[in-house]
Amino acid sequence: MMVLFVLILGSVLTTALVGVNSVTAPQIAKNAEIKLKSSVLEALEIPFQTENVEQTFSNNVKEAEKNGTAYYIAANGDFALPYEGAGLWGPIIGIMAMNPDLEEISGVTIMQQEETPGLGSRIGDAEYLEKFAGKRFTPQLNLVSPGTADGETEIDSISGATMSSKAFVEILNAEHARYQSTLGGS
Amino acid sequence: MNGLWRDHPIFSLILGICSALAVSNRVENALAMGAGVTFVLLATALIISSLRNLIPMRVRIITYMITIASFVIIVDKFLKAYFPTISESIGAYVGLIITNCIIMGRAEAFYVQNKLGQSLLDAVGNGLGYTITLVIIAAVRELLGFGTILGFTVMPDGFTPWVVMTMAPGAFFVLALFIWISRTITGMESD
Repeated sequence: MMVLFVLILGSVLTTALVGVNSVTAPQIAKNAEIKLKSSVLEALEIPFQTENVEQTFSNNVKEAEKNGTAYYIAANGDFALPYEGAGLWGPIIGIMAMNPDLEEISGVTIMQQEETPGLGSRIGDAEYLEKFAGKRFTPQLNLVSPGTADGETEIDSISGATMSSKAFVEILNAEHARYQSTLGGS
Repeated sequence: MNGLWRDHPIFSLILGICSALAVSNRVENALAMGAGVTFVLLATALIISSLRNLIPMRVRIITYMITIASFVIIVDKFLKAYFPTISESIGAYVGLIITNCIIMGRAEAFYVQNKLGQSLLDAVGNGLGYTITLVIIAAVRELLGFGTILGFTVMPDGFTPWVVMTMAPGAFFVLALFIWISRTITGMESD
């Protein structure tokens, strides 16, 4: 009797969940896609409104693939490369936009991070991400004390968020190296 | 409707504060969380109270768990699909509504022994009590931590945000302050 009750209740609830899932799954997938596309457009500094993300994306960006690596190219030849790696508390995922030479950064966005709010999470602040524009990986970015960055390969760390800054720059360096070896020939 | 004050889940019974601390950093998060908990309370009250004469004694807890878990998943999917920004802020804690002691506590203490109408009313009372608390804490934390309420800038330009208010310790301070104030006002005995 007990077993029967739990089985029946369980089946009813599971059916309800399957129903809710099939209703919401398409919208959830769409939200994820819009988020990715917005991030690509933002890294490439292509202006857009929330209402026309899809349209702006298909007009200005192409998806491409080489040697098994997927990436995006803008109309002007800039690359938009998805990156992912381990931050201090969780994955940091975002888009790194680069000049066609694959050496100079034109923009960086962060789509997902779990760093400490108010401290490590400041790597996602617009003012910090703007510092990356124009920097070069020759051969890689170097983290220096806050306010002392000088030259094309140096990036300030954030005071009070040293480890998150370090993790972030290491991710960008590693991912850049990966793209260089798989896409470098183009 | 005792859940609104005398048997208030957070102030009086000190239940359900775990996620209360995490999601009370902004008013919109507090509202979303409060709505989610109220929905799960109502759905749980509906199911448990309606089935109360059928639930075998020894599988009560399992019954509560699968019911609550199902509705929490529904809330999570709903937020992810239709309110993606809020889902990103509080997503991890929505799943934790299952562990929120208020819901299991009320199911066992009330819904399984009382009629549907009473149970639904109790759910609304507890849900509202929880939501109002969260919103008050969030209003203080958002105001001092970000200078805004519901995204509207309230504090003057020269204001430096109190970063501690955006983090857990700030939540502890505000919560402790409120428990102290509310108990002083009502003269509740500590236990």
